[in-house]
Amino acid sequence: MQFGGESSEFSWIINLAFFAFIMLFSLYGQKIQMWQWLKQIESGLLELKRMFLESRQTAIDAFKNFGRPEDEVAGDLDRWLDYFTIMPVDLDPAGVIQRLDHLLDERRDRFEEFVGDLAPEADGKMRQNLENTLEVTQVMNLIFRVVRHYYILGKKYGSQIMIMQIQMQLPELLRIAKAYFQAMGAFSVGKPIGDGIGPLIVSKFARQYGATKEDYIDDLAREVGYYRVEVEGRTLFAVRATGPGGTVGKPGLAIENLVKQNSGDISRIITIDAALKLEGEELGRVSEGTGAAIGDPGPEKYAIEEVARKNGIPLEAIVVKEDEEAAVGIMQKELLNAIPEAIERIKASIVKRTETGNRVILAGIGNTIGIGL
Amino acid sequence: MGMISKIIGLIITGAGAVLLFWGMNSDPTYSFIWFLIGMIVMSIGFGLISGGKQPETPEPPPPTVTEIICDNLDCDFKELRDFEKGDYILKPIDATCPKCDGSMTIHGIYIIREKEEEIQI
Repeated sequence: MQFGGESSEFSWIINLAFFAFIMLFSLYGQKIQMWQWLKQIESGLLELKRMFLESRQTAIDAFKNFGRPEDEVAGDLDRWLDYFTIMPVDLDPAGVIQRLDHLLDERRDRFEEFVGDLAPEADGKMRQNLENTLEVTQVMNLIFRVVRHYYILGKKYGSQIMIMQIQMQLPELLRIAKAYFQAMGAFSVGKPIGDGIGPLIVSKFARQYGATKEDYIDDLAREVGYYRVEVEGRTLFAVRATGPGGTVGKPGLAIENLVKQNSGDISRIITIDAALKLEGEELGRVSEGTGAAIGDPGPEKYAIEEVARKNGIPLEAIVVKEDEEAAVGIMQKELLNAIPEAIERIKASIVKRTETGNRVILAGIGNTIGIGL
Repeated sequence: MGMISKIIGLIITGAGAVLLFWGMNSDPTYSFIWFLIGMIVMSIGFGLISGGKQPETPEPPPPTVTEIICDNLDCDFKELRDFEKGDYILKPIDATCPKCDGSMTIHGIYIIREKEEEIQI
């Protein structure tokens, strides 16, 4: 090629093209990049929309089997999809946990009422599973609407920073949405999910010491009960939410009540839950630490910490590491493989850090969908 | 957009490449023009080769299995079957163990998925 050769009658075309290229990209480079970003967001949005619509249809299919026609179910479901909860004011933080707890109770009541109206013929276990199905559909709807909002807003006002932020967060949002989308099938038919590993460990532990389904005492707090078993001369209260319907219950309140019932005479509280693993960490790795292993919006964790502080009870946490996809998705074999090690660690903790005759609380935190007593 | 379009695309790409290289060595006056024409023809050829991809069909969900184990500690009977609606972990099974006639319980329900390649450091 001979760009730099001797000038010819056509060299002015080359010079013009060169300057046109420079001008075009220096003046409109950002616009071209914005256009590219918008196209990427648009394609992500279409994917989010597809996942939301399919989730909605799965929810409708699940609800319509329990006494209401499809069109009525669809209408009521659409009305419910943007149900919201206003968080309590935190300008004056005093009492914010109690107020939040009150609002979450009210929200749960409304969910139960709505599922009862929409599926009048469903039994208790099925209603809990349908409640979970509804919540996943709501999440899918929320992600889609929020991304669409920023996409339209950014496009409308040509806001580069808004478009750039959403484009950069899109892969993460899509990953979360896909995890929930894949979990829809699990919730609608009652398959166990990764988050349920805590209650499962508690039940398997209690069964090792002779507990049965009939020994489960279901009167501690909303949808939470316990098995009372003797472990190496100690009395163990193995607390978990009722199952196999999908519920987390109110484990914080349950532990608080149990401590009160025993007049504060509890030597140790061990909580066991699923915890988010870092990338690169092994799925199903068991770790232990100090504190209350519970991932609620606040009130349940607060209740455990407060009752432990008031009564001077040591708090111990054992967690099974998993990513978000595994936590909301169908149970994986690696997580089940972690159960024997978790049980050994619980045993070791009880034997080493409590004495014969002591009373210990072991609480398995998580969603009990597909996990029997 | 099937195999024929890919073959046509390949031919056009080849023709574009010939034009491009010919342009590099031709008369200096016209070399830039031939070079540009070659590039355009090649990009049309590449477009035909890579265009018309079949839309990705969503993969079927991986199977979920139910693991049933005999309650008799001395018996090692274990059965894996497809998940059935109504199954849950720790559910007692109506059928008896074919090996020892003991009762059986569901001890696990899990998804069977291919392991994703992880970055090892």
